[in-house]
Amino acid sequence: MMRRAVDNAWRAAVIALLALTLAFLIGPLIVAIMMSFDARGFLAPFPPTALSLRWYGTFFADKSFVAGLKMSLALAVAATLISGAVGTAAALALTQYEFRGKAFLSGLFLSPLMIPAVVIGLALLIFVSRWGIFNGFSRLLCAHVIVTLPFTIRSSLAGLAGIRRSMVDAALSLGANDRQAFFDITFPLAKTGIIAGCVFAFAFSLDDVAVSLFLYDTNSVTLPIALVSHMRANFDLSVAAAATFLAFITVLLIVVLDRTVGLNRVIGQGVYR
Amino acid sequence: MPLIPARAVVLLAPGLIVLAILLFLPLANIAVESIRPYVPGKIGGARDAPFTLENYAALLHPVYLGYLGTMIWCAFAATLLALVTAYPIAYVIARTRTHFIRIALVGLLAGLLFLSALVRVYSLELSFGTVGLGRTIARLMGVTPNSRSYAEFLVTIGLAHHAIPLSALLMTATIQNINPRLAEAAQALGAPLWRAHLSTTIPLSTPGLLSAFLVCYTINLSAFVVPMVLGRGKVHFLSNLVYDRYGELANFPSGSAIAIELLLVTLVVTYGFGWMVRRLVPGDAR
Repeated sequence: MMRRAVDNAWRAAVIALLALTLAFLIGPLIVAIMMSFDARGFLAPFPPTALSLRWYGTFFADKSFVAGLKMSLALAVAATLISGAVGTAAALALTQYEFRGKAFLSGLFLSPLMIPAVVIGLALLIFVSRWGIFNGFSRLLCAHVIVTLPFTIRSSLAGLAGIRRSMVDAALSLGANDRQAFFDITFPLAKTGIIAGCVFAFAFSLDDVAVSLFLYDTNSVTLPIALVSHMRANFDLSVAAAATFLAFITVLLIVVLDRTVGLNRVIGQGVYR
Repeated sequence: MPLIPARAVVLLAPGLIVLAILLFLPLANIAVESIRPYVPGKIGGARDAPFTLENYAALLHPVYLGYLGTMIWCAFAATLLALVTAYPIAYVIARTRTHFIRIALVGLLAGLLFLSALVRVYSLELSFGTVGLGRTIARLMGVTPNSRSYAEFLVTIGLAHHAIPLSALLMTATIQNINPRLAEAAQALGAPLWRAHLSTTIPLSTPGLLSAFLVCYTINLSAFVVPMVLGRGKVHFLSNLVYDRYGELANFPSGSAIAIELLLVTLVVTYGFGWMVRRLVPGDAR
């Protein structure tokens, strides 16, 4: 009897911790989302007394936010395309061919993950100023390609790893050329891995602050940069509207990821199930 | 094995060129920059002057060591907090028989992982700042909401908010490969539930715990947005110092020296800790 009581107490404690953790993870987001619909014209305590869309109006009427959103999307698309292509090519070489030093090369390609973002930002800034690259978009694009490259490479490596060389060889022996073999055999099989990598790259690029802060100029302010400077200047609720909007984009990306890869497959099922 | 085939070279070339030009060359650049003397008002250090270590010597000043200490401590506390709170979530995902709970939790964690850092800090500031629960929690802690300790607390939970979903997803993979019969056997032999888990499930999850710790700690050490916004100018990580050197002082040599210091701290943690783990825990604990 005593033991059952101890067990129940233990179970209750763990469940309480679990509930508290989930509340900590979700609670603040719910607060931000609800506050973004606050009808009051100033930052007042939670909860809102009346609801309206005024802060969304403020957000979308603010030229710097809209321009920032456009810039961020253009940058994320361009960076994802480049780093997706470059990353898939490198992953293809690393999986389809045998040669010395493959482990070293894979490590090298993933190394940007180890390097803190501000270090990359500062290093690139000194570099681009020395080489006279003054166009803000190009500078940001350089930065976003390098920080997203490890994601596309790692994910397409995983996607390509299961494809046997013999399948490609079969296609080649049946008269396909390299391009046909890639688009008819390799790409369809590795698609999920490649797309997942691109989704990660896109999300990372869309959210980057630490690298972009060093490289943007007045014509290429991204949305996160505009939001950070706005947050530091005046902490009002148009940022809550922006945050809700960004959280919505996150949900969209998760849905894309679930549809293409399947969330369940990302973590696997385990042995004892 | 043959030398690299020509086709592989063609496929690898774009990636290697990007890495060399956009990463390794610039990194070498700041390493050199960090040993150049600072000339006020000039982009980049003096190029004709002899090299100097004064930019690094300045980092040994107690103020900088204090920043370093705060960073190491906050990142560590956040990682530990994340592991303890993420473990039950990972356990539920790994063991639940209800498909819906599993999918809902994994979806939630993945969403939180993808969540923009700005949304994170803004939501936490709203909830735990002075407009939200700030005053209450600060009073419970015996400090004021504007104090340095409260800023450190905010930064720590800000880092944990990202580290919890990350470590829960990392640990799920480990826990679901532990045989549930082991804990049941321990209970059948008379151990209370908590001891059964403490002597079977938790020791067997060590590899997952260690790898989650390592990943989260490295990420927390290089955090930028969380200390910048939630630290309210009272908590500075090395990342923030690097940016301030550039944004406020345009002192590139000193910024470069701090950047190199941050890089070294991260690499020491990653490789030093990884090496220790491989020595202490046999098997594939990485």
